[in-house]
Amino acid sequence: MSRSHASHKKFNCADVEKLAQRYIDNQLDEEEKRLFDEHLEYCLPCDKKIQFEFKLKEIVKSKAREPLSNNYSSEKIKSFLENLH
Amino acid sequence: MSKNKHTLFSELVKPHLTSLFSTALRMTHHKGDAEDLVQDTLFKAYRALDQFQENTNFRAWIFRIMVNTFITGYRKAVKQPQKISYDDMEEFFLFKRLDENKELQETSKEEFLDTFFDDDIKEALENLPYQFRLVVLLCDVEGFSYNEIASVIDAPLGTVMSRLYRGRKLLQRNLWAYAKTRGYITDVTVARQS
Ligand SMILES: [Zn+2]
Repeated sequence: MSRSHASHKKFNCADVEKLAQRYIDNQLDEEEKRLFDEHLEYCLPCDKKIQFEFKLKEIVKSKAREPLSNNYSSEKIKSFLENLH
Repeated sequence: MSKNKHTLFSELVKPHLTSLFSTALRMTHHKGDAEDLVQDTLFKAYRALDQFQENTNFRAWIFRIMVNTFITGYRKAVKQPQKISYDDMEEFFLFKRLDENKELQETSKEEFLDTFFDDDIKEALENLPYQFRLVVLLCDVEGFSYNEIASVIDAPLGTVMSRLYRGRKLLQRNLWAYAKTRGYITDVTVARQS
């Protein structure tokens, strides 16, 4: 049983750039994720960029959401729901 | 174990009302239209409830109904941004612009993101063409997976990814424009040094 060639593969900065968005969204397969993480461990510039993308995604999530609590829209929609038949 | 249809529907839909309304508002830009869109969606979903298969993904199912309702009934009323240029679509666009800026070289680029107000983020999103905006909302705000989004918007996975990545880049470009025009970033540092 010989080791697979894949285990010797390394990601460079261009690979990281290409897969960055899928990494942020946790959509890489196991092997890609391992290689990606390995690159971030020794490449500070890439690590900083990825941390930035994570933070931006988090900010979009927290600031773009519109709470639906105790307001007119909420009452209207809930009463519409109650009266469906 | 027989629940009446109305009770069952209410229980299924209530946990998702905030998400539906929030997405509807970002898509239509107006509270009144968002209320109407959610109500139309609830009405259609209720009527079609027999077609929903129990123990499958209700959240994706009802979002799909809302997206179809939006596209057939509301899209035309929504102002689309005029010409969009797809120049400057490089990866890490915002990070790179901030990194080039003299003012910010010593500060953390991540911390700079806290400068943006809720309204900046909302405006940056609302100024995206609706196809891109929808996918960014579904992924970043509502946390749907790529596969779920593909089923919600009824498009192949490749389309989901290209719209999402393009949408995020346009969003970064909008934020960069706001940072400059709203004074979060200035070039005065350079001037002061002379
Ligand atoms: Zn690197």
